[in-house]
Amino acid sequence: MNKSLTGLARAKYIAEHRDERVRELKKESGRPVVGYLCCFAPPEIISASGAIPYRLTGRPNDTVSEVDAYLEPYGCSYVRNIMAQGLKGRLDFLDGLVISHSCDMIQRLYGIWTYYFPFSYSRLFNVPHQLTPWAQDFFLRELNFFYESLEQLTGNAPDRDALKKEIEASNANRALIREFYRLRLENPPLIKGSEMMDLLLAGSVIPAEEFTPLLREALEEVKNRDPWKPANPRLLVWGSILDDSTFYRMIEEAGGKVVADDTCIGFRVWEKDIPLTDDPYQGLKEHYFVNFQCPRTDRGPGIQRFQYILDRAREYNVDGVIGYIISFCDPHKLDYPDLRDYLKEADLPMLLIDDNYSFTPGEGIKTRLQAFIEMLK
Amino acid sequence: MSSEMQRAKRHLETTRKMKEMLPRFFMRMMERRFSNEPLAWCMVGVPPELLKAFDLLWEWPENFGTICASRLVAPKFIEVAEGDGYSPELCSYVTNTMGYCKLWKDRGEFPEESPLPGGMGNPSMLLGSGFICEPRWKWFQSIATRFVDVPVYSSDPLAPPYDVDPKDPRIAEHYLDLLRRDLQGQIDFLEKHTGKKLDLDRLREYIRLSHEALTYWRDTLYLRKAIPCPMGSTDYFSAIIPQMYMVGEEEAVDFYREMYHEVKARVENGIGIVEEEKYRLVWFGLPPWFNLGFFNYLESLGAVFALESTYNVGDYFEVDLSDPLEALVQRTWQRAVRMHQYGTEAMPELCNPAVFGGFVGSRLLEEVVRDYSLDGAVMHLTRSCRAVSFGEVHTKNRLAEMGLPSLIFESDMTDPRLWSDAQIKTRVQAFLETVDKSKAERQKN
Repeated sequence: MNKSLTGLARAKYIAEHRDERVRELKKESGRPVVGYLCCFAPPEIISASGAIPYRLTGRPNDTVSEVDAYLEPYGCSYVRNIMAQGLKGRLDFLDGLVISHSCDMIQRLYGIWTYYFPFSYSRLFNVPHQLTPWAQDFFLRELNFFYESLEQLTGNAPDRDALKKEIEASNANRALIREFYRLRLENPPLIKGSEMMDLLLAGSVIPAEEFTPLLREALEEVKNRDPWKPANPRLLVWGSILDDSTFYRMIEEAGGKVVADDTCIGFRVWEKDIPLTDDPYQGLKEHYFVNFQCPRTDRGPGIQRFQYILDRAREYNVDGVIGYIISFCDPHKLDYPDLRDYLKEADLPMLLIDDNYSFTPGEGIKTRLQAFIEMLK
Repeated sequence: MSSEMQRAKRHLETTRKMKEMLPRFFMRMMERRFSNEPLAWCMVGVPPELLKAFDLLWEWPENFGTICASRLVAPKFIEVAEGDGYSPELCSYVTNTMGYCKLWKDRGEFPEESPLPGGMGNPSMLLGSGFICEPRWKWFQSIATRFVDVPVYSSDPLAPPYDVDPKDPRIAEHYLDLLRRDLQGQIDFLEKHTGKKLDLDRLREYIRLSHEALTYWRDTLYLRKAIPCPMGSTDYFSAIIPQMYMVGEEEAVDFYREMYHEVKARVENGIGIVEEEKYRLVWFGLPPWFNLGFFNYLESLGAVFALESTYNVGDYFEVDLSDPLEALVQRTWQRAVRMHQYGTEAMPELCNPAVFGGFVGSRLLEEVVRDYSLDGAVMHLTRSCRAVSFGEVHTKNRLAEMGLPSLIFESDMTDPRLWSDAQIKTRVQAFLETVDKSKAERQKN
């Protein structure tokens, strides 16, 4: 790891070399590394068990032909890309894998991937789609089973105190991340969307205790920045997984400023603290299931399910919303017309970018972004 | 386009007679619409026996999708939905319904393009199911958001992943608790919105009738192990309709009993569906409802399907009916466990409270290849339904290990715009040559 870099530059470096630190850590500590996809299987449990959590991400626009021997072409391009990373040997540092039933495709990725390429530890974390009391009870039991299952990899039995400590550590980072978001309430926002994305990506591949000093450094750096020109227009990005800052940079190059978001590796995870409940599983359930605003969970019909987006748009004083959806992402695609109409009623224009996890053709996407941003100006 | 689409030619007397039975059944339901009774739009996965126990008037938008497809009117509705912002990648059953609903709301009357007279009725509730895929519950969420402000209940059965032991009592109870309370939630919803109490005796009787019908149906499918195969896919994809919508009806028992005896007689007399049965195949995926004649085309080349994976009723119905609610739960669970034993790595969502079946189980493949004397597989990769077609590459790999070739071709279940007739037929012909070679190879060994 390049130790000379600090703050935002370091975050960018980590985001661009995501496995570097985890490989070092594994070597230094001898702790096993568990890769995870989506947060329903909480990384705090992986840490508490003594393993190192590592969020699996893809490489947009990477070749994925390796997976054609196992997965259909009509599948989520993100899912295909993730498996391709495994087949290319880029995830060879993983000792275990946990995939949550966050959506159909990710659930099915689990079965196919582990069938052909077994890990010494692997687990599917099953997640109901409803928020009924019985679905919540089911989720609680899954949390328990998940923690128990990690003992086969780490040798450590579940320890509630250890789990509480991990929750506190990640909540400390949440408090710092909220400070960054508060800086985005201002005009001009003191941090770019792409910088925020790099920070959050870095946080998903290094341990919580290393993320804290990085966040502090970056916060200091940002607060001491000379003010920029006021942002115009201010934008909110909504949609499916964005695990790369390219899209945010494209928006910035087109003249827009992303000041708020509602995506998987974004404010969804960090907006609120994990409640510190006597039974830590209850807090995890509230945070990662009940309050986690992914359209894969049924919050009933009606437009009120999007109220939080409108509230956020107003709080951050945005001029428009850009939707980003990866091909074949059913939950987001089915929500789009309802959300678009709801925002329209609230006089918030929306642009939808439908992408196959490649950000190409880049010129085509940029032209659409420019036209939308010009219109908002 | 339409000239390439052929209606199915059925082989059985029983399935040919469905042309009278089905309209009679559906018209009975439609006539009741005028009585202003509560009407539920339902999703496959909702037990029809439960609906019948509530004497509830129902319609099935998925079935409506297949009818729109077979009458070639689905593209009209799908294009309207696409114009409304629904992606062409989304399930075409969903977009068919969304387009239909939009026209209905925009015009203030049911679209005249509907292949059913009067279209689908005005629902007073939506009964969804998350079984098999997410679009199924998202679909009703959107309908209730955009078009009809009515209550929705979406059941949410989950099945254990392939590498978890469902016989571990803790795991079993984990899933059974969800199934039991979900079923009770559905019943509470129905009692509230119909104003009726569930009559357990009626439910028990409907499950009994249902299982009687389904046992005949299951045994009929077993008869297809015979050479020559006594029944084809055009019969199969017609005969699934009572399985999905009419179980609990005496008519369904009569239908499947008659069918069983007809197919049995054909087996006893060595009657097949083609003159010379050259290739015995298994079908994976949803059928192209707009072109069921495709199966007859394959038959003209000497290829018959002895088995279809989709809607397959499977082989387990022995449940204790003394507590009919527990019987529904156990039916769901026992089937899920059975499928789990066969291997559910590619299709884990097989925990289904109704009787829609499907399989891609790796261990089951070995059994069916042997029992049905199969030479190869044809798989329909439906662009808009990944839930059913995902796993076909894996299945193809597994069959290849057994020396069986597979053809995967791309199209859709509802939207004929995605059918490429010449290309598909060319691929079929080339595939059958491969099957010839592989048969010769296997005979040599």
